[in-house]
Amino acid sequence: MPDLFDIKLVFTQIPDILKALPVTLEMVAFALLIGFALGAILAVIRISKIPVLSQLAVFFVSLMRGTPIIVQLYTSYFGIPILLRYINYYNGTDWNITKIPGIVFAVIALGLNSSAFDSEIIRSAILSVDNGQLEAGRSMGMSEWQVFWRIKFPQAAEVALLPLGNSVISLIKGTSLAFSCGVVEMAAEGKILAGRNYRYFEVYVSLGIIYWILTILLERIIKLVEKKIRVPEEAPAMKPAQLERIKQRLELR
Amino acid sequence: MAYIEIRNLSKKFRDNVVLDNVDLDINRGEVVALIGPSGTGKSTLLRCLNRLENPESGTVSFEGKKYDLTTKKSKSKRELRQHTEMVFQQFNLLKNKNVLKNVIEGLKTVKKISRDEAEQIAYRELGKVGMIDRLTHYPRHLSGGQQQRVAIARALAMDPQLLLMDEPTSALDPELVGEVLMIIKKIAQEGNTILLVTHEMDFVKGVADRVVFLENGKIVANGTAKEVFENPRDERLKQFLIKVKQLDGSEYVI
Repeated sequence: MPDLFDIKLVFTQIPDILKALPVTLEMVAFALLIGFALGAILAVIRISKIPVLSQLAVFFVSLMRGTPIIVQLYTSYFGIPILLRYINYYNGTDWNITKIPGIVFAVIALGLNSSAFDSEIIRSAILSVDNGQLEAGRSMGMSEWQVFWRIKFPQAAEVALLPLGNSVISLIKGTSLAFSCGVVEMAAEGKILAGRNYRYFEVYVSLGIIYWILTILLERIIKLVEKKIRVPEEAPAMKPAQLERIKQRLELR
Repeated sequence: MAYIEIRNLSKKFRDNVVLDNVDLDINRGEVVALIGPSGTGKSTLLRCLNRLENPESGTVSFEGKKYDLTTKKSKSKRELRQHTEMVFQQFNLLKNKNVLKNVIEGLKTVKKISRDEAEQIAYRELGKVGMIDRLTHYPRHLSGGQQQRVAIARALAMDPQLLLMDEPTSALDPELVGEVLMIIKKIAQEGNTILLVTHEMDFVKGVADRVVFLENGKIVANGTAKEVFENPRDERLKQFLIKVKQLDGSEYVI
């Protein structure tokens, strides 16, 4: 039996691949921030139906959802330097384009891509909050700011949590394409390792395991957050002693 | 001068006139029932008074403090809203907060009362509506009647000069209506000033100090329950009372 599949290597090379984990996580963190922030802004623009901006937002979301992430990464990697050269040319500035690290282009592309998906999630979550509760808040004299932060936001967050979690999972997996912008993250690191010993199949199995575990960890975190913010199925029991104390205080008055 | 004076209240939805220059006085401690056919602007009148609707004209004064109901300024809207509290048909409790937190929400965020003091007020009002042993329940754990009792406690906790009740029992299962009506009767007897929109005519007879019949955006009759129900002078009022089976009418003989 020839040595077609080296199962030991699948596990022994994981530590070498994990050396690039910080790069992957760094990309996820920044792209996630861009995605949530820009996604929220786009959602607010569309909900408040701001003229021109609203149409631009629809166009942007459609474009981002309608093109493959790999195309977006390449467009970012080649397009932004061209844009900067034009700016240099017309404004007489002298920005050094070659000094921009590849990770910047990758983060921009991944961030813009997630923002398109996140904006739809955030928009529908905000719209799902029942208007009657907002009226209740207003009629007790809350300001619009208080109505938003104390009623709308917490309830929308609960609705948006799971779909936003899915969006982050896509993002983690999307970073594996950042090699196209010259970033050596985990998938790229794996490819480099395999280039030395031609064990490509083993390296992709290792990568699969790593991404899967990352996703499982993230799912765990989302579950914990969900448990924290979701209204419990059963009514939480009140301690009888506590109830007695309250009743006594009421009678004393 | 009356305790609360509503003047020239008009509201249109596109071309449909819902309220047509309505004037209404309410005295301190009075329970005023607004009755009338569907779509005549009873709920709209209530919602204009706390600016959930935007009327074309109208003013309201609370003990002489006058407000323009057409104001667009959010500050004056907030000031106006602090004179009244609303009990909604659909209860509108905050879904993600438990009973206690629902009641102290307004006390803390609007009245800026300390947590401890707010809790004392909440216990007192929740005790009144018989919900003191449900403090940690969320709205989804409660029946409609219980939710509405909590909503009433929430409104009372804010100590409003006028309590607006918009068909508080219309969304309830028949067997739950009684418990809410009992609570409303109790708070009426405690001297709260209430403007109540309802279709529970027997309840109106028993509790309201004054009954106002609204039709096509105008007040057609305004008097004690006895005057309105037993001796209706207006033809439209008569027709309405026949339809809600408070008056015998020959055309309804089966």
